[in-house]
Amino acid sequence: MKALAANIEDVFREAAARWTLVAYFGLSTLFIVIFASAVNLDIVNGALAGARLFGKPVEMGSSSLDLDKLVLGFESGFSAFLFIVATFLAVFATAHLVPRLQEKGTIDLYLSRPVGRVPLLLSRYLAGLLLAAVNVAYLIGSVWAIVVAKTHILHPRFLLSGAVILFTIAVLLAFAFLVGVVTSSTGVSVMGTYGIFFVSALLVTHDKIEAAVSREWVAVAIRGLYWILPKTAELGRASVEIVSGRAAGAHPVAPLAYVSTLLFALACLVSACALFRRKDF
Amino acid sequence: MVQAAIRVEGLRKTYRGVTALDRVGFEVAPGEIFGLLGPNGAGKTTTVKILLGLTWPTEGSAWIGGIPSRLPESRRRVGYLPEGHRFPGYLTAKSTLSIFGRMSGMDGATLKRRIPELLERVGLEKWARVRVKKFSKGMVQRLGLAAALISDPDVLLLDEPTDGVDPVGRREIRDLLQEEAARGKAILVNSHLLSEVEATCGRVAILRSGKIAAQGSIADLTRVAASYRLVASPLEDATLEALRSTGALVERENGHVRLSVRNVAHLNELVDRLRERGGQLTELSPERSSLEDVFVGLFADAGVRGPEES
Repeated sequence: MKALAANIEDVFREAAARWTLVAYFGLSTLFIVIFASAVNLDIVNGALAGARLFGKPVEMGSSSLDLDKLVLGFESGFSAFLFIVATFLAVFATAHLVPRLQEKGTIDLYLSRPVGRVPLLLSRYLAGLLLAAVNVAYLIGSVWAIVVAKTHILHPRFLLSGAVILFTIAVLLAFAFLVGVVTSSTGVSVMGTYGIFFVSALLVTHDKIEAAVSREWVAVAIRGLYWILPKTAELGRASVEIVSGRAAGAHPVAPLAYVSTLLFALACLVSACALFRRKDF
Repeated sequence: MVQAAIRVEGLRKTYRGVTALDRVGFEVAPGEIFGLLGPNGAGKTTTVKILLGLTWPTEGSAWIGGIPSRLPESRRRVGYLPEGHRFPGYLTAKSTLSIFGRMSGMDGATLKRRIPELLERVGLEKWARVRVKKFSKGMVQRLGLAAALISDPDVLLLDEPTDGVDPVGRREIRDLLQEEAARGKAILVNSHLLSEVEATCGRVAILRSGKIAAQGSIADLTRVAASYRLVASPLEDATLEALRSTGALVERENGHVRLSVRNVAHLNELVDRLRERGGQLTELSPERSSLEDVFVGLFADAGVRGPEES
């Protein structure tokens, strides 16, 4: 446990010293400040009488809107936005953890301690995830607090979207760790992880892509890829569904999407551990 | 019988068909300082890496304190100073020792006592709260030594421990290693600085192309076989002729005589002849070369072996 705690502390100290932590939380704070100053709502008797976005009045029509519905709709849309912002920031802030560990002159210092290779790698994974979790909590918590302060309407479900975001980050971080162990390159880890995010998001329309391709094996490959890769688009949709309390699309996110995504993360982590364990330094 | 603190047996390591180590074996006893020598690519670092579980042997085994080196438990009592180590620049000297100490399983109370003690020992007590990125190469090396010693290990593996350190600092490090050896620690020093090794180590192994080319105590390795330095008086030319008549090679040099004999019996015969002719023996000692001479000799002529006892 002492070694694990020391590793986690090391990751946080490194993030702070390399300005990663400052940039990570600075960008999040900038986003929160812009959000807080941009949205101004005029509430009369619990209903929205007027709204201003970046100081400009928003056309409300003749009747006042139901404030609760408006806040819910706003929070749902915002959770989708935060899903992308938080996952991208997290990958950017943590993808260096393995490549830096594997640098010559550094890895010797860590592996010469009586800590197994797998616990060493997993402690860094846990540290990266903790770093991301703190930031997600900060982002979502702050936005939620601003909405509550401006509207006096509490939707705790908005906070739950953070769990889906963190799950997605955990999956992407597992992949970034695998790429990091294999290539020892932060750049490749970041690009590869963003690549997986986009490709898997595109594969949400795999039915249509399969119908469009002329060869059967290509269709099978696309279907296979869809089931192998994490379901980032579905997870983004799930965070919206959790906030709104209903299925956002015609097809609610199936539990199998979560299970297959979890399996992808586990496969990445197990492979990363197995390769790291056998690697010659 | 005392168990070897470090034991290496029949180590072989091949990288993509290239043999880096070929049946390397040696032992280091508690309280001993052992030097591992060889040119670049000879296999020194690979040997140390196998001992630390940083790389895996193709064949053979290594043990530290009787525990196979592939197990993390074997590193519980090991302190390691790698060559070209890169301590995180964002840590201070104190936090570096704290983090690496805790990674070795040390508790806070022990670290609180041990860190200032060690920083003082390596001459960095005034730099405890300064970030490592501000340190000179020599200071980083001293910090590395402190980090290797933080858990008070039984075994020290040091790769170029005096690299970048000034002559005074080298002397201090040498003294520190002698103190640690006197306290019963087994120390393996991997170095290019032959004079340093000669001044620090009791025994050495010289690696050549992944094989042990010579191994033994410094005294044995540097002894010129069957060659002795003799000081006696009076030492007249007639006496020297008498010695030569036994078949010995006798050369007068600055204030002494150099004798090359067949064996120890032959040497004793010469001493008897000297005394018969009234010579008083003042000094008789085996001639020694430097470790550098031995090293260069080994690599100049691959056929040359380490000296043997006569």
